[in-house]
Amino acid sequence: MNSLPIFKKKDFSPHVPKNFVVVLVICFIMLVLCVVGSLVLGSRPIRLDELMNGLFHPSIDSYEANVVRKRVSRTVFSLFCGAALGISGALMQAVTRNPIADPSILGVNTGASLFVVGGIAFLNISTANQYILLALAGAMLTAVFVFGIGSMGRGGATPLKLVLAGAATSAALSSLVTAIMIPRSYVMDQFRFWQVGSVSSANWSDITTFLPFLIIGILLGIISTTALNALALGDEVATGLGVRTGMLRLIAALAAVLLCGATTALAGPIGFIGLLATHVMRLIMGPDMRFIIPMSAISGAIILTISDVCGRLLGSPGELEVGVVTAFIGAPILIILARKAKVRSL
Amino acid sequence: MKPKHIFQAEKVVAGYDDKTVIQEISLEIPSNKINVIIGANACGKSTLLKTLARLIKPISGKITLDGKAISKVPPKQLARIVGLLPQSPIVPEGISVADLVGRGRFPHQALFGGWTKKDYEAVAEAMEIMNITELANQHIDELSGGQRQRVWIAMALAQQTDILFLDEPTTFLDITYQVEILDLLTDLNRRHGTTIVMVLHDINLSARYADHIFALNKGKLVADGTPSRVITSNLIKDIFGLDCTVIKDPISGSPFVVPIGRHHVTYGTGALS
Repeated sequence: MNSLPIFKKKDFSPHVPKNFVVVLVICFIMLVLCVVGSLVLGSRPIRLDELMNGLFHPSIDSYEANVVRKRVSRTVFSLFCGAALGISGALMQAVTRNPIADPSILGVNTGASLFVVGGIAFLNISTANQYILLALAGAMLTAVFVFGIGSMGRGGATPLKLVLAGAATSAALSSLVTAIMIPRSYVMDQFRFWQVGSVSSANWSDITTFLPFLIIGILLGIISTTALNALALGDEVATGLGVRTGMLRLIAALAAVLLCGATTALAGPIGFIGLLATHVMRLIMGPDMRFIIPMSAISGAIILTISDVCGRLLGSPGELEVGVVTAFIGAPILIILARKAKVRSL
Repeated sequence: MKPKHIFQAEKVVAGYDDKTVIQEISLEIPSNKINVIIGANACGKSTLLKTLARLIKPISGKITLDGKAISKVPPKQLARIVGLLPQSPIVPEGISVADLVGRGRFPHQALFGGWTKKDYEAVAEAMEIMNITELANQHIDELSGGQRQRVWIAMALAQQTDILFLDEPTTFLDITYQVEILDLLTDLNRRHGTTIVMVLHDINLSARYADHIFALNKGKLVADGTPSRVITSNLIKDIFGLDCTVIKDPISGSPFVVPIGRHHVTYGTGALS
């Protein structure tokens, strides 16, 4: 092969999507806008000078300044949760090779909920640390369970079987949740707020509890990206390329469960973010996981924060929990995606 | 030229769940040659290929590469020597040709190494060999079946392995594309010395393009060798249960199987042999 033309990066792009820089800039601008929006908008609108007081003058103890400080932790928390859910969704879709996989669809959120409800009802738990441990245990057990059922029979854990197993498990677990709650009104009260999914009451200690899980989840997600790109071509191709598919699925699923389990523990089950964030990015940038994962984190953070702000404005003078808002936006989009998704050999 | 490798199977028994499909097959794959596995439907040819290509763990027996059990070689290291194109790989939605071909570089890339010059060259070369350079930035969804198959083979070529397994690379393709694919694989073998092992459905194309044929019947290896030694009317009768006469392919001189059915036997059997 001596007449081989020399290729340069610009001739074809097996890696960087053409519009990457533009998308990144747009995302960054939106991120800034929604952070500012989240700080100033709400049942008590904040003027710019009040915002500055709250952010940069800790000595000023006005009502508005305190509102701003409260909203700072809320905003940071919603950005983190959105990022975690975005990555979690991207990882679950890659692991199951199913475009509509999401922590809520695979039943992982419901498993976390069941454990938290059980903890409130039977163990009298009430702190964030206890929530997070129980929710993670619930999320992990559910994931293992769904994976276990989904892998039974011939062909191992096929995407279709996984989703069916997830849907069935989710239905069964949510009826258990109801069964525990109905006769116990005190659980209901404590659980009601949590169950809808909300970032409004977040404080800095929640954020520091959450942070290690977010970091570990992201790191595990990052080390599996290139192998997930190989897995996207099918288990056989991936094996031929030298991927240990079982090990990869385990690591990526663990990362996904850590991320969504920790989020669910602190904010309650917030649905559809994983689905929305990932699909928007896949539509714009194509299917390369090395871009899908970080960009889903950013778009997840943006979508969740915007949803939270919308909830405050729509529910005024009170507020609408963010879980309600994401369900309202997410449900129709899920239907569109499910209709659009060709019933491929899943 | 690709280096010589000794790839052997020793008393390999394999199958799915508890159903045994392959029964005690021992073989050695001739290095730097085109090898074709033939046999009737459900005789285990695909299972044999998958077992050799490490997709299926053998129930018993040993598969070795240069004397070392392939199950003991780290997967990524093995993937730099032995490549594989399965029968129905999955096309991620919206993926471009270059991206898909580029994914064949996985075993050569470090975890955070990113793309090196070598990676770009390998992808460019693979696309050049498969004649899909112009398609580089197109989406796979927009391609014809023949083009798609060339893209997949290019993906396997970008992996730059010395040995390449292909499971029915010509199935579902029109005859024109079947010949085109087999010609391209032959180019690859002749120019680079890549050892090719594939399952083919068409017995006459197998006889024409193979240097070495493995004939399977009911999970057993019943014959192996050059096409002219292996392809006989007796063998075809044995493994396909089909009466035929074997003539000389007027183009290549390789054995050519002419089936004998119940109708249209105008000149009697054996008239041409």
